[in-house]
Amino acid sequence: MIIYNPHNQQLSNERLKEAEMLLTQIPTKYCFISGSFLYKEKYKDIDIFVITRSKKKIAVKNSRAKITILDFNDLYSLFYHSVSKSCVAKTLLPQRPLKITLADYWHVINEAIPTILNEKDKFHKDLRFLVLYTEYFKTDEVLDTFQLNERINSFHDYREVLAFIKRELPDIIHTHAKPSYIKRFFYTQAGHYKELQDYEAQNYLYDLTHDVAKGVAYG
Amino acid sequence: MVNPVEFKQRIETFLSQEYKVEFLGNNFDQIVSLLTEHKAEKMYRWITDIVGRKIQPITISSKKTYKKWAVSELLTFRYPFSIRNTEYRILFVKVKNSVYIEFHLGDHKYYDKTRKNLDLG
Repeated sequence: MIIYNPHNQQLSNERLKEAEMLLTQIPTKYCFISGSFLYKEKYKDIDIFVITRSKKKIAVKNSRAKITILDFNDLYSLFYHSVSKSCVAKTLLPQRPLKITLADYWHVINEAIPTILNEKDKFHKDLRFLVLYTEYFKTDEVLDTFQLNERINSFHDYREVLAFIKRELPDIIHTHAKPSYIKRFFYTQAGHYKELQDYEAQNYLYDLTHDVAKGVAYG
Repeated sequence: MVNPVEFKQRIETFLSQEYKVEFLGNNFDQIVSLLTEHKAEKMYRWITDIVGRKIQPITISSKKTYKKWAVSELLTFRYPFSIRNTEYRILFVKVKNSVYIEFHLGDHKYYDKTRKNLDLG
Protein backbone atom coordinates (compact mmCIF):
# COMPACT_ATOMS: atom_id res chain seq x y z
CA MET A 1 0.00 0.00 0.00
CA ILE A 2 1.24 3.47 -0.91
CA ILE A 3 0.29 6.52 1.14
CA TYR A 4 0.36 9.86 -0.67
CA ASN A 5 0.34 12.46 2.08
CA PRO A 6 2.10 15.66 0.89
CA HIS A 7 0.88 17.79 3.82
CA ASN A 8 1.64 15.21 6.53
CA GLN A 9 -1.97 14.95 7.58
CA GLN A 10 -2.70 12.92 10.70
CA LEU A 11 -4.18 9.67 9.36
CA SER A 12 -5.66 7.10 11.72
CA ASN A 13 -4.17 3.60 11.61
CA GLU A 14 -7.63 2.12 11.84
CA ARG A 15 -8.75 3.95 8.67
CA LEU A 16 -5.57 2.97 6.85
CA LYS A 17 -6.18 -0.69 7.69
CA GLU A 18 -9.79 -0.41 6.53
CA ALA A 19 -8.64 1.29 3.32
CA GLU A 20 -6.16 -1.50 2.62
CA MET A 21 -8.84 -4.12 3.23
CA LEU A 22 -11.18 -2.41 0.74
CA LEU A 23 -8.49 -1.98 -1.91
CA THR A 24 -7.50 -5.65 -1.76
CA GLN A 25 -11.10 -6.56 -2.71
CA ILE A 26 -10.69 -4.73 -6.03
CA PRO A 27 -9.30 -6.92 -8.82
CA THR A 28 -7.36 -4.17 -10.63
CA LYS A 29 -3.82 -2.88 -10.26
CA TYR A 30 -4.55 0.83 -10.00
CA CYS A 31 -7.07 1.82 -7.35
CA PHE A 32 -7.04 4.30 -4.49
CA ILE A 33 -9.09 5.89 -1.73
CA SER A 34 -9.23 9.65 -1.32
CA GLY A 35 -11.36 12.20 0.52
CA SER A 36 -12.89 12.68 3.94
CA PHE A 37 -12.73 8.99 4.92
CA LEU A 38 -8.96 9.41 5.30
CA TYR A 39 -8.87 12.54 7.42
CA LYS A 40 -12.29 13.18 9.01
CA GLU A 41 -13.77 11.40 12.00
CA LYS A 42 -17.23 11.72 10.49
CA TYR A 43 -17.56 10.99 6.80
CA LYS A 44 -20.43 10.35 4.40
CA ASP A 45 -18.94 8.13 1.71
CA ILE A 46 -15.74 6.22 1.12
CA ASP A 47 -14.53 7.54 -2.23
CA ILE A 48 -12.80 4.74 -4.12
CA PHE A 49 -11.28 5.37 -7.55
CA VAL A 50 -10.42 2.59 -9.96
CA ILE A 51 -8.35 3.15 -13.10
CA THR A 52 -9.32 0.52 -15.62
CA ARG A 53 -10.35 -0.15 -19.21
CA SER A 54 -12.62 -2.98 -18.11
CA LYS A 55 -16.41 -2.54 -18.27
CA LYS A 56 -16.97 -5.11 -15.52
CA LYS A 57 -18.94 -3.90 -12.51
CA ILE A 58 -16.78 -3.55 -9.42
CA ALA A 59 -18.18 -3.86 -5.91
CA VAL A 60 -16.75 -4.02 -2.39
CA LYS A 61 -18.30 -5.15 0.86
CA ASN A 62 -19.13 -1.77 2.36
CA SER A 63 -22.41 0.09 1.86
CA ARG A 64 -20.69 3.48 2.17
CA ALA A 65 -18.19 2.78 -0.59
CA LYS A 66 -18.70 4.92 -3.68
CA ILE A 67 -16.69 3.61 -6.62
CA THR A 68 -15.70 5.91 -9.47
CA ILE A 69 -14.21 4.35 -12.58
CA LEU A 70 -11.49 6.38 -14.29
CA ASP A 71 -10.41 5.92 -17.85
CA PHE A 72 -6.70 6.21 -18.71
CA ASN A 73 -7.55 9.47 -20.53
CA ASP A 74 -8.74 10.87 -17.20
CA LEU A 75 -5.16 10.78 -15.89
CA TYR A 76 -4.50 14.09 -17.65
CA SER A 77 -7.40 15.81 -15.87
CA LEU A 78 -7.33 18.27 -13.01
CA PHE A 79 -9.82 16.02 -11.22
CA TYR A 80 -7.43 13.05 -11.22
CA HIS A 81 -4.46 15.20 -10.21
CA SER A 82 -6.52 16.50 -7.28
CA VAL A 83 -8.04 13.25 -5.96
CA SER A 84 -4.79 11.32 -6.32
CA LYS A 85 -2.63 13.98 -4.64
CA SER A 86 -3.53 12.84 -1.10
CA CYS A 87 -4.70 9.26 -1.08
CA VAL A 88 -4.05 5.67 -0.14
CA ALA A 89 -3.32 3.52 -3.19
CA LYS A 90 -2.86 -0.19 -3.80
CA THR A 91 0.33 0.51 -5.70
CA LEU A 92 2.24 3.45 -7.20
CA LEU A 93 -0.22 5.40 -9.30
CA PRO A 94 0.47 6.30 -12.94
CA GLN A 95 1.46 9.92 -13.52
CA ARG A 96 0.53 11.95 -16.58
CA PRO A 97 1.02 15.66 -17.30
CA LEU A 98 -1.92 17.93 -16.67
CA LYS A 99 -3.82 18.95 -19.81
CA ILE A 100 -6.12 21.82 -19.14
CA THR A 101 -7.19 24.89 -21.10
CA LEU A 102 -8.90 28.20 -20.39
CA ALA A 103 -11.83 26.97 -22.51
CA ASP A 104 -12.18 24.00 -20.09
CA TYR A 105 -12.20 26.47 -17.22
CA TRP A 106 -14.88 28.58 -18.87
CA HIS A 107 -16.94 25.45 -19.45
CA VAL A 108 -16.80 24.79 -15.70
CA ILE A 109 -17.86 28.37 -14.87
CA ASN A 110 -20.66 28.25 -17.46
CA GLU A 111 -22.20 25.23 -15.76
CA ALA A 112 -21.40 26.04 -12.14
CA ILE A 113 -23.12 29.43 -12.07
CA PRO A 114 -26.66 28.24 -12.97
CA THR A 115 -26.19 25.21 -10.71
CA ILE A 116 -25.21 27.35 -7.72
CA LEU A 117 -28.09 29.76 -8.34
CA ASN A 118 -30.50 26.81 -8.39
CA GLU A 119 -29.15 25.57 -5.06
CA LYS A 120 -28.66 28.79 -3.13
CA ASP A 121 -29.07 27.08 0.25
CA LYS A 122 -27.03 23.97 -0.62
CA PHE A 123 -24.42 25.49 -2.90
CA HIS A 124 -21.32 23.91 -1.32
CA LYS A 125 -21.69 20.58 -3.15
CA ASP A 126 -21.59 22.35 -6.52
CA LEU A 127 -18.38 24.30 -5.90
CA ARG A 128 -15.85 21.51 -6.28
CA PHE A 129 -14.80 22.05 -9.89
CA LEU A 130 -15.26 25.80 -9.84
CA VAL A 131 -12.92 26.24 -6.87
CA LEU A 132 -10.46 23.60 -8.08
CA TYR A 133 -10.05 25.25 -11.50
CA THR A 134 -10.00 28.81 -10.13
CA GLU A 135 -7.33 28.02 -7.55
CA TYR A 136 -5.26 26.17 -10.14
CA PHE A 137 -5.25 29.06 -12.61
CA LYS A 138 -4.77 31.60 -9.81
CA THR A 139 -1.94 29.91 -7.89
CA ASP A 140 -0.67 27.18 -10.23
CA GLU A 141 -1.36 24.67 -7.47
CA VAL A 142 -3.60 21.61 -7.60
CA LEU A 143 -5.57 21.40 -4.37
CA ASP A 144 -5.95 17.94 -2.88
CA THR A 145 -9.32 16.84 -1.44
CA PHE A 146 -8.44 18.09 2.05
CA GLN A 147 -7.38 21.56 0.85
CA LEU A 148 -10.33 21.73 -1.52
CA ASN A 149 -12.85 20.98 1.22
CA GLU A 150 -11.31 23.62 3.46
CA ARG A 151 -11.45 26.19 0.68
CA ILE A 152 -15.05 25.30 -0.24
CA ASN A 153 -16.19 25.52 3.38
CA SER A 154 -14.64 28.98 3.71
CA PHE A 155 -17.59 30.30 1.66
CA HIS A 156 -20.58 31.02 3.87
CA ASP A 157 -23.01 32.27 1.26
CA TYR A 158 -23.44 31.71 -2.49
CA ARG A 159 -23.06 35.48 -3.02
CA GLU A 160 -19.49 35.23 -1.71
CA VAL A 161 -18.75 32.70 -4.45
CA LEU A 162 -20.17 34.94 -7.17
CA ALA A 163 -18.13 37.88 -5.84
CA PHE A 164 -14.99 35.70 -5.67
CA ILE A 165 -15.29 34.71 -9.34
CA LYS A 166 -15.99 38.30 -10.43
CA ARG A 167 -12.95 39.48 -8.48
CA GLU A 168 -10.49 36.78 -9.60
CA LEU A 169 -11.44 35.87 -13.15
CA PRO A 170 -10.38 39.00 -15.12
CA ASP A 171 -6.81 38.84 -13.72
CA ILE A 172 -6.60 35.07 -14.23
CA ILE A 173 -7.63 35.35 -17.86
CA HIS A 174 -5.29 38.26 -18.56
CA THR A 175 -2.40 36.34 -17.04
CA HIS A 176 -3.00 33.20 -19.11
CA ALA A 177 -4.24 34.42 -22.50
CA LYS A 178 -3.26 36.80 -25.23
CA PRO A 179 -5.44 39.90 -25.79
CA SER A 180 -6.47 38.70 -29.27
CA TYR A 181 -7.70 35.37 -27.85
CA ILE A 182 -9.51 37.09 -24.97
CA LYS A 183 -11.35 39.43 -27.34
CA ARG A 184 -12.36 36.69 -29.74
CA PHE A 185 -13.40 34.17 -27.09
CA PHE A 186 -15.16 36.43 -24.62
CA TYR A 187 -17.01 38.61 -27.12
CA THR A 188 -18.38 35.40 -28.67
CA GLN A 189 -19.51 34.22 -25.24
CA ALA A 190 -21.05 37.62 -24.45
CA GLY A 191 -23.06 37.48 -27.68
CA HIS A 192 -24.47 34.12 -26.64
CA TYR A 193 -25.53 35.25 -23.16
CA LYS A 194 -26.93 38.60 -24.33
CA GLU A 195 -30.20 37.10 -25.54
CA LEU A 196 -30.65 35.09 -22.33
CA GLN A 197 -30.26 37.89 -19.82
CA ASP A 198 -33.79 37.32 -18.45
CA TYR A 199 -32.16 34.50 -16.52
CA GLU A 200 -30.10 35.46 -13.46
CA ALA A 201 -27.32 33.00 -14.36
CA GLN A 202 -26.83 34.13 -17.95
CA ASN A 203 -27.09 37.77 -16.85
CA TYR A 204 -24.22 37.17 -14.40
CA LEU A 205 -22.21 35.32 -17.08
CA TYR A 206 -22.82 38.15 -19.54
CA ASP A 207 -21.48 40.70 -17.04
CA LEU A 208 -18.52 38.44 -16.32
CA THR A 209 -17.55 38.11 -20.00
CA HIS A 210 -17.78 41.89 -20.31
CA ASP A 211 -15.56 42.44 -17.27
CA VAL A 212 -12.92 40.18 -18.83
CA ALA A 213 -13.16 41.69 -22.32
CA LYS A 214 -13.23 45.27 -21.00
CA GLY A 215 -9.89 44.70 -19.32
CA VAL A 216 -8.37 44.13 -22.75
CA ALA A 217 -10.13 47.05 -24.41
CA TYR A 218 -8.95 49.50 -21.72
CA GLY A 219 -5.54 47.90 -21.23
CA MET B 1 -45.41 3.93 -6.69
CA VAL B 2 -45.91 6.29 -9.62
CA ASN B 3 -47.63 5.36 -12.85
CA PRO B 4 -45.33 6.29 -15.78
CA VAL B 5 -48.23 7.14 -18.10
CA GLU B 6 -49.77 9.52 -15.56
CA PHE B 7 -46.33 10.99 -14.82
CA LYS B 8 -45.85 11.91 -18.47
CA GLN B 9 -49.39 13.26 -18.76
CA ARG B 10 -48.92 15.50 -15.70
CA ILE B 11 -45.73 16.95 -17.17
CA GLU B 12 -47.41 17.59 -20.53
CA THR B 13 -50.22 19.40 -18.72
CA PHE B 14 -47.76 21.79 -17.05
CA LEU B 15 -46.17 22.63 -20.38
CA SER B 16 -49.45 23.39 -22.20
CA GLN B 17 -47.87 23.31 -25.64
CA GLU B 18 -48.98 21.64 -28.85
CA TYR B 19 -45.50 20.25 -29.61
CA LYS B 20 -45.22 16.72 -28.24
CA VAL B 21 -42.30 16.58 -25.80
CA GLU B 22 -40.27 13.34 -26.07
CA PHE B 23 -39.71 11.30 -22.92
CA LEU B 24 -36.35 9.57 -23.32
CA GLY B 25 -34.17 7.19 -21.30
CA ASN B 26 -33.22 3.52 -21.40
CA ASN B 27 -35.29 2.55 -18.35
CA PHE B 28 -37.59 5.56 -18.17
CA ASP B 29 -40.81 3.79 -17.11
CA GLN B 30 -39.02 1.47 -14.72
CA ILE B 31 -37.30 4.37 -12.90
CA VAL B 32 -40.52 6.41 -12.72
CA SER B 33 -42.37 3.45 -11.22
CA LEU B 34 -39.78 3.37 -8.40
CA LEU B 35 -40.50 7.00 -7.44
CA THR B 36 -42.45 7.81 -4.30
CA GLU B 37 -45.39 10.21 -4.64
CA HIS B 38 -43.38 12.75 -2.64
CA LYS B 39 -40.43 12.60 -5.07
CA ALA B 40 -42.77 12.89 -8.06
CA GLU B 41 -44.51 15.92 -6.51
CA LYS B 42 -41.11 17.58 -6.08
CA MET B 43 -40.41 16.97 -9.77
CA TYR B 44 -43.76 18.48 -10.78
CA ARG B 45 -42.96 21.57 -8.70
CA TRP B 46 -39.57 21.77 -10.44
CA ILE B 47 -41.31 21.66 -13.84
CA THR B 48 -43.72 24.45 -12.88
CA ASP B 49 -40.74 26.48 -11.63
CA ILE B 50 -39.01 25.99 -14.99
CA VAL B 51 -42.12 27.16 -16.82
CA GLY B 52 -42.25 30.13 -14.41
CA ARG B 53 -38.60 30.91 -15.29
CA LYS B 54 -37.49 30.41 -11.69
CA ILE B 55 -34.91 27.72 -12.55
CA GLN B 56 -31.64 28.65 -14.23
CA PRO B 57 -30.75 26.77 -17.43
CA ILE B 58 -27.36 25.59 -18.62
CA THR B 59 -26.66 27.01 -22.06
CA ILE B 60 -23.61 26.73 -24.24
CA SER B 61 -22.11 28.74 -27.04
CA SER B 62 -21.39 25.98 -29.54
CA LYS B 63 -21.40 25.71 -33.31
CA LYS B 64 -22.55 22.08 -33.19
CA THR B 65 -26.03 20.86 -33.94
CA TYR B 66 -28.23 18.52 -31.96
CA LYS B 67 -30.78 16.78 -34.18
CA LYS B 68 -32.44 19.67 -36.06
CA TRP B 69 -31.41 22.41 -33.61
CA ALA B 70 -28.26 24.43 -33.03
CA VAL B 71 -26.82 23.53 -29.61
CA SER B 72 -26.48 27.24 -28.83
CA GLU B 73 -30.28 27.70 -29.01
CA LEU B 74 -30.99 25.00 -26.43
CA LEU B 75 -31.62 25.54 -22.73
CA THR B 76 -30.98 22.52 -20.53
CA PHE B 77 -32.41 22.16 -17.03
CA ARG B 78 -30.87 19.56 -14.74
CA TYR B 79 -32.44 17.77 -11.80
CA PRO B 80 -30.48 15.21 -9.74
CA PHE B 81 -32.19 12.69 -7.48
CA SER B 82 -31.54 9.27 -6.02
CA ILE B 83 -33.54 6.13 -5.34
CA ARG B 84 -32.11 3.56 -2.92
CA ASN B 85 -28.51 4.83 -3.21
CA THR B 86 -28.59 4.95 -7.02
CA GLU B 87 -28.19 8.38 -8.52
CA TYR B 88 -30.30 9.53 -11.46
CA ARG B 89 -30.52 12.74 -13.46
CA ILE B 90 -33.22 14.49 -15.44
CA LEU B 91 -32.19 16.71 -18.33
CA PHE B 92 -35.09 18.75 -19.62
CA VAL B 93 -34.40 20.51 -22.90
CA LYS B 94 -36.11 23.60 -24.31
CA VAL B 95 -35.54 25.57 -27.48
CA LYS B 96 -34.81 29.23 -26.72
CA ASN B 97 -38.03 31.31 -26.83
CA SER B 98 -39.90 28.24 -28.04
CA VAL B 99 -41.05 24.77 -27.02
CA TYR B 100 -39.81 22.08 -24.62
CA ILE B 101 -38.52 19.22 -26.77
CA GLU B 102 -37.03 16.44 -24.65
CA PHE B 103 -37.30 15.07 -21.11
CA HIS B 104 -34.38 12.72 -20.45
CA LEU B 105 -34.32 10.55 -17.35
CA GLY B 106 -31.65 7.98 -16.60
CA ASP B 107 -28.69 6.78 -14.60
CA HIS B 108 -25.17 8.25 -14.71
CA LYS B 109 -24.20 6.36 -17.84
CA TYR B 110 -27.22 7.64 -19.76
CA TYR B 111 -26.71 11.13 -18.33
CA ASP B 112 -23.07 11.25 -19.48
CA LYS B 113 -24.03 10.11 -22.96
CA THR B 114 -26.84 12.67 -23.27
CA ARG B 115 -24.55 15.45 -22.00
CA LYS B 116 -22.06 14.60 -24.72
CA ASN B 117 -24.79 14.68 -27.38
CA LEU B 118 -25.85 18.11 -26.15
CA ASP B 119 -22.18 19.19 -26.24
CA LEU B 120 -22.19 19.86 -22.49
CA GLY B 121 -18.93 17.92 -22.15
